[in-house]
Amino acid sequence: MKIARPLILAGAMAGLLASHAHAAGRTFNLAITGPFSGGSAPMGISMRDGVMLAVNQINAKGGIDVGGKMEKIHVIERDDEGQNQRGALVAQELASMPGLSAVIGTVNTGVAIAGDKFLQAAHIVKLVTPSSGTAAMSQWDKPSVKSLYMFRFSAQDGIQSSMVVEQAAKMGFTKVAIFNDTTNYGVSGRDDLMRKIKANGHIKVVDHEEFNIGEKDMTAQVLRARAAGAQAILIWGIGPELAAVANEMGKIGYHVPLIGGWTLSMSNFLDNAGKNANGTMTPQSFIQDPVNPIVAKFIKEYQTAYHVKVMPSPMSAAEGYDAMLVLAAAVHQAGSNDPTRIRNALEDLKTPVTGVIATWKHPYSKWNWKDPMSHEAFRRDDVVMGMVKNGRIVYANASEREREAKRR
Amino acid sequence: MIIGQLTVSGAAMGLVYALVAYGFQMTYATSESINFGQGELLMVSTFLALSLSNLGVPYPLVVPAGLLIGALLGLFVERTAVRFALEQRNENWILTTIIFGLFAVSAAENIWGTDDVPFPTPIPQNAVNIGGGVTVTPVEISVAVGVFLVMVLVELFRRRTLLGKAVEAVSADRDAAELMGISATTAIAVSYALSGAVAAFAGILVAPITSVGPNMAASLILKAFSVAVVAGLRSGTGVALVGVALGVIESLTAFYIGSGWRDAPGLILLILALAMRPNGIFGKAAIRKV
Repeated sequence: MKIARPLILAGAMAGLLASHAHAAGRTFNLAITGPFSGGSAPMGISMRDGVMLAVNQINAKGGIDVGGKMEKIHVIERDDEGQNQRGALVAQELASMPGLSAVIGTVNTGVAIAGDKFLQAAHIVKLVTPSSGTAAMSQWDKPSVKSLYMFRFSAQDGIQSSMVVEQAAKMGFTKVAIFNDTTNYGVSGRDDLMRKIKANGHIKVVDHEEFNIGEKDMTAQVLRARAAGAQAILIWGIGPELAAVANEMGKIGYHVPLIGGWTLSMSNFLDNAGKNANGTMTPQSFIQDPVNPIVAKFIKEYQTAYHVKVMPSPMSAAEGYDAMLVLAAAVHQAGSNDPTRIRNALEDLKTPVTGVIATWKHPYSKWNWKDPMSHEAFRRDDVVMGMVKNGRIVYANASEREREAKRR
Repeated sequence: MIIGQLTVSGAAMGLVYALVAYGFQMTYATSESINFGQGELLMVSTFLALSLSNLGVPYPLVVPAGLLIGALLGLFVERTAVRFALEQRNENWILTTIIFGLFAVSAAENIWGTDDVPFPTPIPQNAVNIGGGVTVTPVEISVAVGVFLVMVLVELFRRRTLLGKAVEAVSADRDAAELMGISATTAIAVSYALSGAVAAFAGILVAPITSVGPNMAASLILKAFSVAVVAGLRSGTGVALVGVALGVIESLTAFYIGSGWRDAPGLILLILALAMRPNGIFGKAAIRKV
């Protein structure tokens, strides 16, 4: 008890100070959530840093012009550790936070499934980024959802899985193996792949393998794929396990392409797989290659702000940055901090937003449960195919690099 | 050929389980206590060894330094988390060692970051064909050699040195040993230091395969614990055999039944062993005088 009292006092004083700071001027309150620790941390941290880069730039100019008054963005950060239960707790806390207008974040599909319902119920706008799993948004595809406060801002798996299957077909493969981890992300990715392969008609799945988070020995899985005669492995998982698969393939001399979700661009895949990662192909919304002035400027600003040469997850950083710009534009258009007005503005964004991934023209439309794309910002053309080359992601197709270079 | 490959890969992993399990046995033998933060001790030692390596310390020095770090951490855990509980003759060491482990994970995340990072090794990574299409990497061979080497060294220490004999005596009968003038407290501390060194060595051996991260030992430690319990908490050869067997069974299960079933045999073995031979396959039945 002796220790407890000063602690409570200190807490109360900190609270007073914080509320005093708020009173000094109206702020736009934003929460950033994501895994800042654990295996998904490279994505969470890059996303946060991308959002913060935009926030700092906006605040440096005085804030967002909300109905003629400049409002600085006030950021609250919460680490969901990439764990579903923790994500649900964080969402509950945010849902009951007074004055919170919007949330940007979530990497892990399972966290979105576990937590977003609390934000939706509390009518808080959320830009789901960079979580790409189909299941993160498909939970809302039902007639009872009349209006939706959740907006996805990422290269979702629907697009990615089509591109992966397309790529396999383009390379002339007819027999493939599907590998996925046992998380919501992996399982949802597997289902997407199965659907797209069925639609394609020419490709046969000769082997299906699963692995758990933390699994290091992939011998059995890779041997089974080879024994089944797979010409390529289509994979959905997270960095460390993806690296274990690539290393095992290298070890037994099974040299077939690894094609899969965007997580193949995570630093913990590229670093741990080393040369075994070369030739791996993965859809990307952003590649750390200064193809045009806007991209070059962003890369340079990120590197200076965070003292890094290579972004841990360039895609997460770029998606976080663009998501913040789009949100700021919607707040400006709404002329209010009210989440419902911001939602309406997002669903009908009048002025195009120049982002690093694309120029966002009317990214969303009014929520319609029969057309889930109404709350998806990304289309096929916003995503390119990337390839691993000596620890970096480069454009796999020269034509796509040219298209990006000419974008503006 | 496939069975050969599965066996070799499984055995390499199994030997690492065995080495960590061996560390569990050491402290259990002297004090009937176990460091439940052993996995975290392994992780912190490996990270410190990695930091040394990044500072430019050559690999042949990194390994003994890592062992020393592990031993010191083991001593630290014994002194701060275990000794008072043993003196009070209660089981509070269970909680304190778990707390130490949790603390170590948070500390590691703050110091070294949350990412899994590769562990550089001078041992070549390229696989070699050992006949019949079975490939093995030199790193895997180093794991096997390292595990046997450390087990032989520890056995020699226990049988040939005065301090080792004291540890043995305390393991055999603590009260009798104390009557002979052997300090049980010292023997227990030594067993914790040895256990820590063995865990650090296991970490350094396995890190080039698994990479280093704050949660690197989470699944490893569970398997090692199963091995220690199934083999019996007092048999050195037992853990090596059970460890290899578990690794191979896991590998074969994953191939022939399905990769989702990989962890099942270990758990079934654990339950069977607890039900049928609570002292382990290689353990001696305890004589309890009533």
